[in-house]
Amino acid sequence: MLHLSRLSRADWFGPLLATILAILLIQSFSASFLSAYNIEILLLAIAVNALVAYSQMVIIAIGQMNLSVGAIGGLAAISFAGVMEVWGLPAPLALLLALAIGALAGAVNGILIRITGISAFVITLATLSIFKGINLGITEAQPFYGIPESVKSFGASILFGPVPLLVLPTAIVTLLLWLMLRRLPMGRFILAVGSNEHAAALSGISVGTTVVAAHAISGLLAALAGVLVVARLQIGQPSIGDDWLILSFAAPVIGGAILAGGHVSTMATLLGVVIVAIITQALVLFSIDPFLVQVVLGAMILAAVGLNRLRARTPLKGSH
Amino acid sequence: MRKTFNFIAMAGLCSLGAAAAQAADDSQLALVPGGPHPYFAAWEQAGADAVKDLGIAAADYKVPQKWELTQQNQLLESLLSQGYNGFMIFPGDPVGAVSTAEELAENGAQVIAGAGCFKDPSPAAFCLGTDTGNSAYLGTKELLKTLGDGEKRIAHFTGFLVDPNTQLRIDAVNKAAEEGGATVVQVIADIDAPEPAEEKINAYLAAHADEIDGIITTAWVPAVVAANALRKMGDTGIHMVGIDHDEVVLAAIKDGVIDGTMLQNPYGQGYIGAFALDKLRSGCTVKEDAPFASNALTNKFIDSGTAYVDASSVDGYIDAMRAETDKILKDFEATYLTCN
Amino acid sequence: MSAQDLVPASAGPLSPTGGGLSRTRFFLSNEFGLILLIAAFVAVFAFTTRGFLSPFNLFSLGRNSAVNIMIGLSMMTVIVTGGLNLAVGAIGVCAAMVCGWMIEVLALPWPLAVLGGLALGAALGFVNGWMVVRTGLHSFIITLATMSIFFGAMIFLTRAESFRAMPEVFSAFGKMKLATYLSPLLLVTLACALLLAWLYRFTVTGREMLAAGANPAAAELSGINVNRAVILCHVLSGVLAGLAALMLVTRNGAAIPSMAGQLGQDWLLPAFLGPVLGGTLLKGGKVSVLGTVLGAFLVTMLTSGLLMLQVGAFWVQTFLGLMLLVAVLLDKARRSYLARRNLA
Repeated sequence: MLHLSRLSRADWFGPLLATILAILLIQSFSASFLSAYNIEILLLAIAVNALVAYSQMVIIAIGQMNLSVGAIGGLAAISFAGVMEVWGLPAPLALLLALAIGALAGAVNGILIRITGISAFVITLATLSIFKGINLGITEAQPFYGIPESVKSFGASILFGPVPLLVLPTAIVTLLLWLMLRRLPMGRFILAVGSNEHAAALSGISVGTTVVAAHAISGLLAALAGVLVVARLQIGQPSIGDDWLILSFAAPVIGGAILAGGHVSTMATLLGVVIVAIITQALVLFSIDPFLVQVVLGAMILAAVGLNRLRARTPLKGSH
Repeated sequence: MRKTFNFIAMAGLCSLGAAAAQAADDSQLALVPGGPHPYFAAWEQAGADAVKDLGIAAADYKVPQKWELTQQNQLLESLLSQGYNGFMIFPGDPVGAVSTAEELAENGAQVIAGAGCFKDPSPAAFCLGTDTGNSAYLGTKELLKTLGDGEKRIAHFTGFLVDPNTQLRIDAVNKAAEEGGATVVQVIADIDAPEPAEEKINAYLAAHADEIDGIITTAWVPAVVAANALRKMGDTGIHMVGIDHDEVVLAAIKDGVIDGTMLQNPYGQGYIGAFALDKLRSGCTVKEDAPFASNALTNKFIDSGTAYVDASSVDGYIDAMRAETDKILKDFEATYLTCN
Repeated sequence: MSAQDLVPASAGPLSPTGGGLSRTRFFLSNEFGLILLIAAFVAVFAFTTRGFLSPFNLFSLGRNSAVNIMIGLSMMTVIVTGGLNLAVGAIGVCAAMVCGWMIEVLALPWPLAVLGGLALGAALGFVNGWMVVRTGLHSFIITLATMSIFFGAMIFLTRAESFRAMPEVFSAFGKMKLATYLSPLLLVTLACALLLAWLYRFTVTGREMLAAGANPAAAELSGINVNRAVILCHVLSGVLAGLAALMLVTRNGAAIPSMAGQLGQDWLLPAFLGPVLGGTLLKGGKVSVLGTVLGAFLVTMLTSGLLMLQVGAFWVQTFLGLMLLVAVLLDKARRSYLARRNLA
């Protein structure tokens, strides 16, 4: 009993329960839900969305917000596609460049926030506009098409069974992030700064370095997500990233992250992404009136969060 | 894509050298789309060519920085303050943009609608655009032709629900399907952005690929995504007709992945629009009895042309668009305008 | 949030202040900084562009800022409690559509329809506030979900069709010019701002809202019904969002489902820019109505000026972002300079 209640208090428990329930429910209504191709499609969506969610999660961990996640992802995506088409750079070099741009853009956010002491919300609102503007200025809203075959086949190939190759980078990142937040000093610094900046500073942590590093990581992850989208869509669309913002917050919060900072969970965030992906797909599977999709999506997000909430309360009552 | 438009531009230049004679030399025209979208990129070249050919002071392509009615209103107000006096507008909303158009007209500017229409009554002299309903209808007919006899189940992928054209397209596809004895088994909307399109279309095909025989797409991004999805899935026996001239769609036609696409004529809209605005500025008026067509929004509609291309005609698609433009331009003035 | 370090400078509003000190306070305030910035940018745009000071541009500038300020005020009322209201756009559009529906379908007189729209705004705001209070979840996640629900229900019920049969008074009001420059919409907004300023400064309810935002636990202990205050703030936000949307209806002459973009997201940027530039703390408890008004006006003016400057169409957004950054940096620098000179 005690074991179970401790389990149920872990962040990932509620989302996991919701995920399993949702899968069972949908599968019982529509047998094709767990078909191989459908699982592949789900995994593709999850691969990108998880990186987007992580990108925000790292910033939530230090108690800030990064509104420019989508703008950084979009900028990296069109740089990745652009340098390959215009300069003919090989894909690995273009990838490095795109990731560097992402990390740099994130670091700029962090440095500006740190130097000026202005809230992250305001700084990233301004840089959102700047990064997106640079994107539009370069592309004039026209996509880049010159994606080399190597990238296209990377986006389309299968690792094994129904698992697409695109999942691999996300899986590695998930593992690294989990390791970082749990075991590495940098992860501890990030969480410490998030829960109490002054206490962290007093205990000898360099708050400035930590904030800038967290933002650079966030930018890097957003850029990687952008690159994966290019590989998946096989074109460098300037509008990549435009609709990331809501998802980037929804998934970590469904996964129990506290917006004030200091408390996030990589696994729970991943499960949050999975829930949203399953919901989106279920709506299509059940041929729900397209005009109603938004309502159902909103209601399901509330339900998922409510379940999480319930889970957090019950063991507390039991312990009294 | 620029290159292809230059071809069309040259064609326009040749056929229109004669028209340069009487232009109002103070015409400062603005070609304003609803927001950044690859469809409108041809307007920039069209405007530049019109300036060169027709002796207009300016015909600038001005893009609202976002696809947002408020942004477009602000841009139009600003352009008016800067002295622009002729506007071709893709209304950010067919109803909501009317009041701004009225203000432009009250301040002495000429207004026409391009690519999409204002809802009547509006101060726009006319609307020059693709008959979206008709295009969707014709596209569906072409798709049904490829399906042959037997059961015909089609899926329809289309654009934003807030765009009233979407409802027109849904209705037109349903009508064509009904006439052809087909059933529309699924409409997926709200997907004229790459990511939701990718997710929803792939999810749908994953579950229902064996339950449909054909796909009709009536928006730019869904056409691209669906063409890619079919290419990836290999031999599914699903037929598809797309829309517009995105390179992905054209390549898919050439490789036999999809059957064809419904072309629209953005370059022609830009060029003819600039030509007509300049004429209106120099004192011409729209004829009372001009042979306008009508659609769900307006009774002053001029079809800028739509054409179906398949594997046999895809290489000459530029000619198809050029032919349409020349055809309309040739007797535009005589048909629609009274000039002194 | 790192805005924490601003708190010491602005805390203790009840401490007695001498004349000299309060004048210093004013020069240190966000409001003064914004006034300086607005003056500077007006001068720049007036000299470098054609038509910035033309009557039509000043008129449209006033009209656009009227809506942006109202959207900013709507967000501000919730930020006061330390929360957010991501559903401002969705609530606004719902209110506008109900108003259009009452006029076109129910054929009710327009004043009744306007009241109906505002009432729906209040009701949806109440739903938000009630859920925030009852579930104890952060308003961010609640309004993220309700934004999707409200907007989705509206699109489902209207089938994305606009209501166009608005009475003439509406569009006439939107186009009306007082003394060639002034839009009556701006007067409506300023009247609302004055009412809000009065609410926060002179009424018990207003001060309870601020106290509930600054420190809910302490407020509860001192006998304030925090839950009631939070719900009231959300209701107020809903009404103001509805008002902003109705102003857009008069401006467009129609109630349009897409007027705040997909899910009403397009309002989020103006909604946050005004209050944040104006010095309203995101963690709640401090409010500046004048700052919100000035902040929203500054943003509207920057957009207008950039369009006038004819920087390449696609670069406008970059420049807007850069100028925002420069604006907040300048403000920060000015205040730390003054603080060092006067308080050292």
